[in-house]
Amino acid sequence: MPEIHVRNIVKEFGDQRALDDVSFDVAEGELFTLLGPSGCGKSTTLMSIAGFQHPEAGRIAVGDDTFFDAVAKIAVPAEQRNLGIVFQSYAVWPHLTVFGNLAFPLKVRKLRRDAIRARVRQVLELVEMLPYEQRYPHQLSGGQQQRVALARALVYSPSVLLLDEPFSNLDAKLRERARAWVKELQGTLGLTTIFVTHDQDEALSMSDRVAVMSAGEVQQIGTPEEIYRRPANRFVAEFVGRVNLIDGLVSGSGGGGVVVDVAGSSHQLTVNDGAGVSGSVTIAVRPEAVTVMRLDDRSVDGMNTWEAEVETVAFLGDHYEYDVKAGPLALTVQSSRRVEGDRIRVHIPPDACAVVE
Amino acid sequence: MTATSYEQTFPRPRRSLVPAWALHWGTWLLVVALIVGPLVPLLYASLRDRPLYEAGGVLTVQPYRELFGDSAFWHAWGNTLAFASLTTLMAVLGGALVAILVTRTDIAGRKTLGRLILLPILLPSLGMVLGWLVIWGPGGYLTAMFNDRLHLPTLPIDTIPGMALVEATRLLPIAYLTCQAALSRADSSLEDAARSAGARPVRVLSNITIPMLRPALLNAATLIFTLSIAALGIPLLLGTSNNIVFVSSYLYNTWTNATTPDPGSVSAGAVMMLLVATALLVLRNRLLGAEARFVSVGGKSGRQALLRLRSARWPLTGLVAFYLVFTTLVPIIGLALMSVVVVLTPLVAPWELLTSAHWQVLLDDDTFRRSIRNSAVIALVGALLTTAFVALATLVAHRSGFRFRRTLPFLMLYPRATPGIIIGIGFFWAYLITGAFGDYMRGSIWGIMLAFCVRNLPLAYIVMYPTLARIGEELDRAGRAAGAGWWRTSRSIVLPLLKPALFASFILMFVEIINDYDPAVFLVKPGTEVMGATMLAQFIQGTVGPVSALAMVQVVITVVVLSIGAKLFKIGVSGGEHGA
Ligand SMILES: Nc1ncnc2c1ncn2[C@@H]1O[C@H](COP(=O)(O)OP(=O)(O)OP(=O)(O)O)[C@@H](O)[C@H]1O
Ligand SMILES: [Mg+2]
Repeated sequence: MPEIHVRNIVKEFGDQRALDDVSFDVAEGELFTLLGPSGCGKSTTLMSIAGFQHPEAGRIAVGDDTFFDAVAKIAVPAEQRNLGIVFQSYAVWPHLTVFGNLAFPLKVRKLRRDAIRARVRQVLELVEMLPYEQRYPHQLSGGQQQRVALARALVYSPSVLLLDEPFSNLDAKLRERARAWVKELQGTLGLTTIFVTHDQDEALSMSDRVAVMSAGEVQQIGTPEEIYRRPANRFVAEFVGRVNLIDGLVSGSGGGGVVVDVAGSSHQLTVNDGAGVSGSVTIAVRPEAVTVMRLDDRSVDGMNTWEAEVETVAFLGDHYEYDVKAGPLALTVQSSRRVEGDRIRVHIPPDACAVVE
Repeated sequence: MTATSYEQTFPRPRRSLVPAWALHWGTWLLVVALIVGPLVPLLYASLRDRPLYEAGGVLTVQPYRELFGDSAFWHAWGNTLAFASLTTLMAVLGGALVAILVTRTDIAGRKTLGRLILLPILLPSLGMVLGWLVIWGPGGYLTAMFNDRLHLPTLPIDTIPGMALVEATRLLPIAYLTCQAALSRADSSLEDAARSAGARPVRVLSNITIPMLRPALLNAATLIFTLSIAALGIPLLLGTSNNIVFVSSYLYNTWTNATTPDPGSVSAGAVMMLLVATALLVLRNRLLGAEARFVSVGGKSGRQALLRLRSARWPLTGLVAFYLVFTTLVPIIGLALMSVVVVLTPLVAPWELLTSAHWQVLLDDDTFRRSIRNSAVIALVGALLTTAFVALATLVAHRSGFRFRRTLPFLMLYPRATPGIIIGIGFFWAYLITGAFGDYMRGSIWGIMLAFCVRNLPLAYIVMYPTLARIGEELDRAGRAAGAGWWRTSRSIVLPLLKPALFASFILMFVEIINDYDPAVFLVKPGTEVMGATMLAQFIQGTVGPVSALAMVQVVITVVVLSIGAKLFKIGVSGGEHGA
C-alpha cells in the first residue's frame, strides 16, 4: 500500500478558485480525512487524485507513480490509476446485479471466469453481502448498496481507497455502525485511504489524521487530538467542535506560554501555548475543558479562576451545559457535575487554552 | 478474512486499441462533415457563374443579382412571411389553449386528449396535406357538400390563410408541448393563491397563467415560424390552383423548370433561406437558457388543483374533440376513401364508385413498388444508424473531456432550423463534387438516406439528452475508476442505461424518415425513389388515387410503429419531445 503525495494543487472553475495551493501527504496504511464545510473543495481534491479533474497547477503521486504533474504535462487517465473510489451516491450500476457490479472491474482486467467468480465471492464475503449476490441494486437497502459500492472499489485490490462522503445517505444509527465497520476493514486490510466528510464527529472518530479545509485552502493538518486541542486558527477552532473564543492582549510570558489580559475585563488568563507571540490574540477554550465549582469550593484556586454568574443551565442527558458570565466575559461550559447556586466559580486550565490568532 | 488473503495483484487494465481521443475527434469531425459539409458547397455554388461540375468558372455574385432582380422571388418572400406569421399565430394560440385546458382544468379525458393532440406532427405531412385537399380543397368532398348541398361557405384552403390553417394544425403540437412542459414545471401555488384571494378563474388565467407562459410561447413561436418558412408540400399541393408561390416552391419550380440545369440562383435562394433560418435559431438560443431547452415532459404535475370548468366542461371538451376530428381524423378518412374510389364526390355514394385500381397500382407499378421498398429500407437502416451515431455524439458532447464538446449540441440542433430542401440541395452539390463516393451516393438510395438522417437527427438528440442528463455522472466515473476506458464505460454502463431513450429515438427516427420527403426532391433518380418524393412528383402530374393509397401506406406504417413503440417502451409522451 503506497503513500499519496499531493503538492500545491490549484484548480479553477472559470474565475472561481476551487483549490488554492493544496498540499498534503498520506502515509502508507493511513486513514486520512479531508474535513470542511460544503463547497470548500473536498470533492474537487479527491476527484483530482482520481483523475476526473485536471488541476491548473501542482503534482499528484501515489507511491512511485506520478499521476499528475502540471509542469511535466503528465495526466494519467482515470482508468489507468488503479484507485478504488466510493462515491457519495454509491453509483452502484443499476442494470447489473451485485455480482455483475463486482465482476466488471475484473472483466476489464481480463481475468478468467472462474477467477472472477472466486474473487467476487471472496470480497462479497468480506463485506458480508454474499447472500445478495444475485440481487439488483434496487432490491437492496441503502446500507447494503453502500457495502456493494465499497466491495466494488476493493475487488481489484486498488493501490489506495478514496471515499467521498460515503455515509451521508445513511440514517444516523446505520451511519455509526458503518463508520466502525469501515474503520475496522481499513485497518485490517491496511489500506491507504482518503476519506471526505463535512461531519466533524466522523472525521475525529475515524481518522488517523485530518486535514481541515476551507474555501479551497488547507487550514490545518494533524491528528484528531491536535486538531481539537490545538486548532491552528479561528476557523478550525470554530468548525471542529464548540469553542469559547476569548480576545485579549499579551501582557507577559511564562511557563512555555503567555499571559493574556482579557479584553474588557480585569481578568488575566495564563496560557500554555503560543510562546513568543505578542500583541492582541484570540484564545480558544473547549466548553468541556472548563471546570465549574461551587463558590465555596476552593479545591482549585489561583490563576485562571474567576467568579461567575450563571445565566442558564440545561440538562442534556450525559452532561449539563452552563452559560455563565465572568464579569463581561461570556463562557459556555459543559460539565457532568451539577453545581448549585446562581454564582459559581469557573477555572480554565492553562493546558486547555490554544492561541488561535 | 485477513489482509494477506485479500491482497492479490491483478493485471493492470490494458488501454483500448482505439484511444478515446481518436474516437472523440472522429465523432466530432463526422458531425461537422455531415452538418456543415453540405452547406459549404451550397454556398460555393451560389457564388459561381456555372454549376460546380463544370470546369472553369469564376466567383461572381451574378446568381444573387439574378435572383434579387426577379420580382417573383420577392413576391414569394412576401407570401412566405405572411403564411409563416399566420401559421405561428394560430399554432401558438391553439397549442397554448389546449395545453392550459389539459394541464390546468378538469376537461374530460385529459390524458387521451393530451396524447391525441400530438398525432398531427408525427403523421406524414405530405399525406395529411393531400387529405386536407381531397376533403376541404376546391372541389373537395366536404367543400362540395357544404357549398352545393347546404349552401354554406367553407374556408378556402388554397388561400394563404387556408394554407396557414393546414400548417398550423401540423405544428400545433410543438406549441402544445412547450406550454405543457412549462405549465407542469411551474408552481401552481401562485394561481391557487390568486384564486383563494377571490380572483375569478378567467382573471387568474389572464393575469397569472398566461404571463407565466410567455417564455414558452416565444420559444414555440420562433421554432414554428422557422419550420413553417420551410414548408414545401403546402405551396406545391395547395398553392398551385391560385398561383400562390412560396420561397421553397419558387426554388423548386426554378430548379425543375430551368432551361440551364442546376441554376446558381437556386443555390443563392437557398443560402438566403438558410441565413434567415440560422438567424431565427440564434435568436431562439438567446431567448432560452441552455437548460430550458430541455425540460423533461411530465414531472410533478397532477398534484395541482385543477380549475373546474363547470358548465363549460363539456362544450370545451367537445371543442377539442371537434378540432381533432376535423383536422386529423377527417383528412385521414378522406385519404382512405380517395384511395378506394374512382372519384370522390358527394353526388354519388362512395360505395358505388369503389375500385381497387389505385392499390393495384402500388403493387404493379415499378416506381410505386420501388418507392415503398426503398423507403422501408432507408427508414430502417437510417433510424438504426442515426440512433447509434447520435448516441455516440451525445456521449461525447456530455460525457467526455473532449475539447470541442460544447459545440456538439449546437451542431446537432442546427439541422432542425435548416429547411429540408436546402439540405437536399446541399447534399446534391456535396455528392457532385466528391468524386466516386458522391457518384455512388447519388446513384443509390444511401445518398437520400444520409440527407434524411441529417435532417432528422436533432430529434434523436432531443430525445436522448434528457435521459442522459438523468443518469448520474458518478455512474460512469465509477466505471472509469474500475479501469474501463471511455468507450468501454460508455458501452457497458451508460448505453445500457440509455436504452429506453435509444428505443424511443429509433421509433421516432423511423417514423420521421419514412415520412420525410423534401430533402429528397433534388436527389431522387429513377431507381432511388422514396414514398414522399414519389407522391409529390405523381401528384404534380395529376395522379391522385394511387398517391392517396401511398399516403395511406405511410399513415398505417406510422400509426402501427408508434403504437408498437408506445406499447413496448411507453414512449407515448416522450415520443412527442419535438417541442424542444
Ligand atoms: N464542475 C464544476 N464547475 C464549476 N464549479 C465547480 C465544479 N465542481 C465544483 N465546483 C465549485 O468548486 C467548489 C468546490 O466544490 P467541491 O465539490 O469540491 O466541494 P465539496 O467540498 O466537495 O462540497 P460538498 O461537501 O458540498 O460536497 C464549489 O464552490 C463548487 O461550486
Ligand atoms: Mg463533495
